[in-house]
Amino acid sequence: MSTSVILVAFGSFLLGTLLALLTIPVLVWLERRIAGLVQDRLGPNRTNIFGFRLGGVVQSFADVVKLLLKEEYYPSHIKNGRWLFMMAPIITFVAALLAFMVIPFADTITIDGETLRVQALPIDFGVFWYMAMSGIGVIGVIFGGWLSHNKYSLLGAARAGSMVISYELPLGLSVLSFIITYNTIDFNAMVHWQSQTFFGFIPAWGLFIQPLASVILIVALFAETNRNPFTVAEGESEIVAGFMTEYTAMKFAMFFMAEYVAMNTASAVIITMVFGGYQLPWVSTEMLHTHFNVFAFSLMCISPFVVAVLIMWMRKNNRVRPSVSNDDGRNFETKVLTIVMIGFLVVIEFILGYLVFFADDPFANSLAVTLFQIVVFVLKLMVFNIFFILIRWTVPRFRYDQVQYLGWYYLLPLSLLNIFITAVIVVGVS
Amino acid sequence: MGVKVTKRYGGAFKDRLFLPAIFEGVRVTLKHLYGNLTDINAVSTLRYPEEQPTDISNRWRGLHRLTHRADDTIACVACFMCATACPSKCIFIEATEREDGNDEKMPESFFIDTLECVFCGYCVEACPCDAIRMDTGIFTLTGNKREDFVMNKEQLLSHKGAFGEETSCARD
Repeated sequence: MSTSVILVAFGSFLLGTLLALLTIPVLVWLERRIAGLVQDRLGPNRTNIFGFRLGGVVQSFADVVKLLLKEEYYPSHIKNGRWLFMMAPIITFVAALLAFMVIPFADTITIDGETLRVQALPIDFGVFWYMAMSGIGVIGVIFGGWLSHNKYSLLGAARAGSMVISYELPLGLSVLSFIITYNTIDFNAMVHWQSQTFFGFIPAWGLFIQPLASVILIVALFAETNRNPFTVAEGESEIVAGFMTEYTAMKFAMFFMAEYVAMNTASAVIITMVFGGYQLPWVSTEMLHTHFNVFAFSLMCISPFVVAVLIMWMRKNNRVRPSVSNDDGRNFETKVLTIVMIGFLVVIEFILGYLVFFADDPFANSLAVTLFQIVVFVLKLMVFNIFFILIRWTVPRFRYDQVQYLGWYYLLPLSLLNIFITAVIVVGVS
Repeated sequence: MGVKVTKRYGGAFKDRLFLPAIFEGVRVTLKHLYGNLTDINAVSTLRYPEEQPTDISNRWRGLHRLTHRADDTIACVACFMCATACPSKCIFIEATEREDGNDEKMPESFFIDTLECVFCGYCVEACPCDAIRMDTGIFTLTGNKREDFVMNKEQLLSHKGAFGEETSCARD
């Protein structure tokens, strides 16, 4: 095992952990800001460190500090199984975190003849790992609800159990039709398969190859992450906070964060299986490698425009109304952030220019391609997370028997039908 | 009385698909999100405290003040009408003899406990001398301890009216 192998493995693991954990505060902030903007409000935008608001993202870190400093409270009526009561949020959180670890963030990179996966867990049976780990999450919910010895919590746990039997089957069956289509259980190979085109111009994304299975997968993953329209395990108006009722401080925060990690994981699975993963449409990794100079040069041309749009947007929006004189240091923040963005742009342009015009190092090129794919992956991930959030603030909730009805009467027959059609077509083609 | 049959919606195939309705809803929310994201100042939220409210009318009941006469003496004659009308019993007056020749009485001390006050405006209506008013437009009162919220005579006299009419109309 050479140094490069260890470096790549460590780097991918770090990347996976950071992507899973650092997105939590960002997602919480995004949720609150987007909810505000959708409803014509502002959302949290005041918290700052030395006048740097960054749109209010600091609020999430302040919330973490608040939750850490809260009283650890155990309901006195929990006599037996207190350790399991404490374990429950950990089970949910760890399951959501582990499920994220098999998502490929970029294509495999070849160093000294060794092909290395850019995955936190470099395994080639990612789909099974994901299905196994994401199914465990609900166990924590059920334990937590049951051991709280509280009727609201018990009802929440029962509803979580009813959710599992309503969505797990359609989820598994829709994944099965993807497996039949792509002929693999490896996420990375799935992304590879999707980099082809069919009919010459349509990218072979799961969305176009398997439209029905894509819809079923997305709906089932919404149910799996316990998010609106399927928030049946908790319901403010009918069962208080459901399984979370008796949880306080960091134990509550664990459940809360697990929801966002699960949402992140679901977005990652959706983009990997349905939306071409870390790849741009029509652009496969081989194409990026062979035409690296063209790709890098076009990236050099595009990035100034992107940064210019960002800066213009910031200058327009990171200020109080023109009628107000007191701007509370926001102009200063805009100035500093503009300088930082332009600095980043200059560094990126310099590196790309060096790679295009001076260096002819295939290893450096492949590293740049990998970084580019990671950036594309993160952007796609964020877009889908925003879609998750937008759905939450658009669609009213289903009742839990309606979820079962939907799962058993619509999604299950449809996914069975889809498997049948897929199998017929796959056998017919080959 | 005949049976009224209400037509129920949601039975059509398009409704039972759910997806068209969800797309329509997402279109609406996305429109709001995009509009507010591209111009954050289109959101009509008042950016307090940088922005101050501009819609305070002269009927609005703010913090109290005691008015002056034309010769700058206090308009109050310590008749206790306001203290009697006050439903929360938060006005405390001690009367004394008046030396300036305008009237017989004036308040020695005049306290309003704004923590007790419900800002009903009965004191303003009860006053025969137009000596107490709530037209300062002050809507925030801050302090570090409870005693800071008990307004004394000097504080009440120092408040300015926000809508002109500096002196008492009744006694000049």
